Amino acid sequence: MIAIENLHKRYGTSVAIDGVSFEAPDGEITGLLGANGAGKTTTLRIIAGVLAPGAGTIRITGGPGTLGALLDHTGLYDRLSTRENIEYFGRLRGLSSLDERVGDVIGQLGLTAIADRRVGGLSVGERMKTALARALVHRPRNLLLDEPTNGLDIPTVRSLRDLLRRLRDSGHAIILSSHVLDDVQSLCDRLVVIARGAVVAQGTSDQLCRRTRCGSLEDAYLQLIGEHEVPVC
Amino acid sequence: MLTVALKELRDALRDTRSLVGSVFYCLMGPAFVWIVARAVKGDSAHTVIAGMISVFTLVAAFSGGMNVAMDVVAGERERRSLVPLLSNRVSRLDIVIGKWLAVVVFSTGGLLLCFLAFRFVYTPAGDSLMLVLLTGMLPLALLAAAVEVGLSTLCSSVKEAHTYLSMLVFVPMAVGMFGIFFPASAALGSLLPVAGQQAQLQRWLGGQPVPLFPSLLVGILTTALAALLIHGTAVWLDRDNAVYGR
Repeated sequence: MIAIENLHKRYGTSVAIDGVSFEAPDGEITGLLGANGAGKTTTLRIIAGVLAPGAGTIRITGGPGTLGALLDHTGLYDRLSTRENIEYFGRLRGLSSLDERVGDVIGQLGLTAIADRRVGGLSVGERMKTALARALVHRPRNLLLDEPTNGLDIPTVRSLRDLLRRLRDSGHAIILSSHVLDDVQSLCDRLVVIARGAVVAQGTSDQLCRRTRCGSLEDAYLQLIGEHEVPVC
Repeated sequence: MLTVALKELRDALRDTRSLVGSVFYCLMGPAFVWIVARAVKGDSAHTVIAGMISVFTLVAAFSGGMNVAMDVVAGERERRSLVPLLSNRVSRLDIVIGKWLAVVVFSTGGLLLCFLAFRFVYTPAGDSLMLVLLTGMLPLALLAAAVEVGLSTLCSSVKEAHTYLSMLVFVPMAVGMFGIFFPASAALGSLLPVAGQQAQLQRWLGGQPVPLFPSLLVGILTTALAALLIHGTAVWLDRDNAVYGR
């Protein structure tokens, strides 16, 4: 479980996050929804330990070492192979049985055929899977994913969704940030809507629709973040 | 930190374009001196050639690791691999030291290559080679790598890092030139990093004895400055700006 309480973050004079609180329970996928600049990525980066919070607390079951993160695009090293990219992060995590762990995650994500190819020559989907393998190599109990389906084709999106469901069913706590409402609706058990650095609503998709008296999640989301329809000229 | 260093070494050794560029820069000095040595004759030849060798050697320390340095931090930010790297909860100091060690390998390699190439062009009159290498050149390579990693950390793209690191190479060149044309001021600056190494090289090439105590002192000062820069770079990497750019 990941529990966030009253998280604050400022960059100079601008407020990035202003009192974000929510919980991501084990065995569930929690979706972070919000417009560009709403504070989703900053929240995930603080949870991942990349940025220090201005104020607030983060509790992670099992400690920070049990966290896996796929943040800020794939961020792979093009001149290294898929296996070497995964091994590097395994070593940074201080894994003991590294070969076994890397072999496991390569098999789990279906990367065997490209394991020894340099990442620079891989497709977007293969790169995303490699980045995910890198985030999973230390078998984290908790997972952070920032827009993982960006740029992926339909079969890859489907296989990624299947993988995330398997991880959820095996008890992982997953926080997923996405702009793709289809992803959010099909994957997430609960949603946290962030606008202007604060949580404006949280609950299941149905609960958000009921609360806003909207027929679709898209309408409910737009109403919650206070965006009005912009006419297309 | 060794994990980071080994990864950076492996990565850099596969970057053929960068390797060729570094080797070319390091051999440029010996090639240039070889041509000049054939053109300049008479009493002034030795002074001119020794001066040129000392300047090009200083430059080689900086140019050897330049391409690697711009890739190890600015490159991380450009390819968006810095945030995933930092999410591993490895200390910023370990990351910086690892990257610095990788750059040190290339800076030292560049210096050694330059030294070897100069031996084909010119035979130094001095016999203090080990003293010059250990108290002068090695600390200089440590400092050059630290400055380059520090600058690269301040840059948000490889292109930006390339601009500043290319300009940085002019600093040892300027210090070296100053030492040649204003020998009186060079004596005053002989305990300072870069200027001290240049004074050492000048004495060695000219067959004069290289004094032990000042050599050790300049070596220690240069190494200490490198350590200070590494610490500063790690502190900077811990700031929000390092993740978000300026």
